[in-house]
Amino acid sequence: MTCSDVQRVLPELLDGAPDGAFQTDFDTHVKSCPACSELVSDLKLISSEARQLAATEEPAPRVWVRIAAELRAEGLIREPQSAPTRPILIPTSPRRRWSAWWLVPVAAALLAAGSYVVSHKPAPQVAKQQAPATSVTSAVPETPAVTSPSVPTSAPQQLAQKSAQPTDIVGPAVGPAVEPAPSAEDQQFLSVVSTRAPSMRATYENQLQAVNADIRETQAYVDRNPGDADARQHLMDAYQQKALLYQIALDRIQ
Amino acid sequence: MESLQETAVVTLVLATCLASAAFAETKKEYRFTVGPNANISVDTQYGAISAKPGSGNQVVVTATLKSDDVEVDNQQNGNRIDIASHLLRGTDQQAGQVDYELLIPPDATLNLHSSTGPLSAERLQGDLTLEGTDAVVNVRNVENGHVHVRTMRGPITLTDVRNGHVEIASISGDVHLKSVTGPLVQASSGSGKIFYDGDFGSGGDYRFITHSGDIEALVPADVSAGFRAHSVLGRVQHDFPLQPRHSRFSEEVGRSFIGTTGQASSEVVLRSFSGKIRLKQR
Repeated sequence: MTCSDVQRVLPELLDGAPDGAFQTDFDTHVKSCPACSELVSDLKLISSEARQLAATEEPAPRVWVRIAAELRAEGLIREPQSAPTRPILIPTSPRRRWSAWWLVPVAAALLAAGSYVVSHKPAPQVAKQQAPATSVTSAVPETPAVTSPSVPTSAPQQLAQKSAQPTDIVGPAVGPAVEPAPSAEDQQFLSVVSTRAPSMRATYENQLQAVNADIRETQAYVDRNPGDADARQHLMDAYQQKALLYQIALDRIQ
Repeated sequence: MESLQETAVVTLVLATCLASAAFAETKKEYRFTVGPNANISVDTQYGAISAKPGSGNQVVVTATLKSDDVEVDNQQNGNRIDIASHLLRGTDQQAGQVDYELLIPPDATLNLHSSTGPLSAERLQGDLTLEGTDAVVNVRNVENGHVHVRTMRGPITLTDVRNGHVEIASISGDVHLKSVTGPLVQASSGSGKIFYDGDFGSGGDYRFITHSGDIEALVPADVSAGFRAHSVLGRVQHDFPLQPRHSRFSEEVGRSFIGTTGQASSEVVLRSFSGKIRLKQR
């Protein structure tokens, strides 16, 4: 049994549907493969924690977003080939079918990229008017929380390294004269919207352009003023707005 | 000639009747018996949803279907009720509209989703989640429950909401908060405005954040709060004689202010990237 075979059969085994033939090969491989062993233990932890959640305490969508982002960062789930499909190892909400599920890790990747960009700006020299803690993480409590205690955390840097730099961010110019081309993720998003909710495409496209413009504007300011912690926090907020737009679209596209 | 005229009239009448039948409204009522702290979810692509308190442990759902091209799926699993509109045959917005009126136990947890809305809830005490794309959201006279609202463009109005967590997020919708107090009141909008009319009471945390939308707070002269306001590119003004407070954040005239009034019982943070911020005295 190979690592890809393990990833394929793991959901069945975690759901308690053991197959004798698979079980033996599975156990043998896991014992000899550190990566798969760690994956199995992480998922068992998540699975056991999830079972303890009451029906009315279903994890917020951001929990699954983070799980998907981390698995994507570790290369354990694949990008959809054509039409968006559900990543193998991610459970779905019982109430909603997210056929455009790939948008969720993209939204999480946007947040992670924003966090990475913001947190890696050079910290200012000690100045009488600057806060001592200038990293984004110190300002996180001011924004809606994006973490969950049941999810194994991963450094924002790891996620950001895996996710693309925001391709729709123009350089530190004050503002582009011409609307830049949408990123690949945005194009895919609009393509899915066009297919599943064509009447809403114009609305989502306009909102997406507005949000991207906010991101560019804020990014440009941060580039010129790297020591401005509040501006970096606004950049995070702008990325969260974009993630919110993706999430609202996901909820409505069926 | 007369027979031709008669035929034309009969044909016209028949066609009108058929057309009316296709778009005939249908009202359906569903009743459920639940225990305490029931969980009720209503999801419709097109249509209004309103919720009010009913009597006893009954949930009464009245659905008005605009055509036969949409049906209502309903399911009860113990204390959990799920109602959803199911569009048939690629139905459009007009034909696919279903309006819901709910009478629910006041302590029930409620989840309402509609792209078009409007969404409204009043006189309830359970947790509320209201989400819509363009839906106008109106929440009135809610106590003790947590209120979560998300819209893309729909404006959001909360009136007389007390003692719970309030979390509002909109891409470009305006947010109006009137007499809203609680341990946590958080509202964010990208380009929409945030307007607060209240007293920042209950010793809570109040956080209003926009990107380009203006923020305006209208509060009484005897408000007791610690304030921090900052706009990166916009103007910031206040009408209060703020007491200085020690803070790691700097103050820049016209761009930010920091200070306290009264006993500083609550904490108020007003942040915008390029919107104006105004703290006005009533």
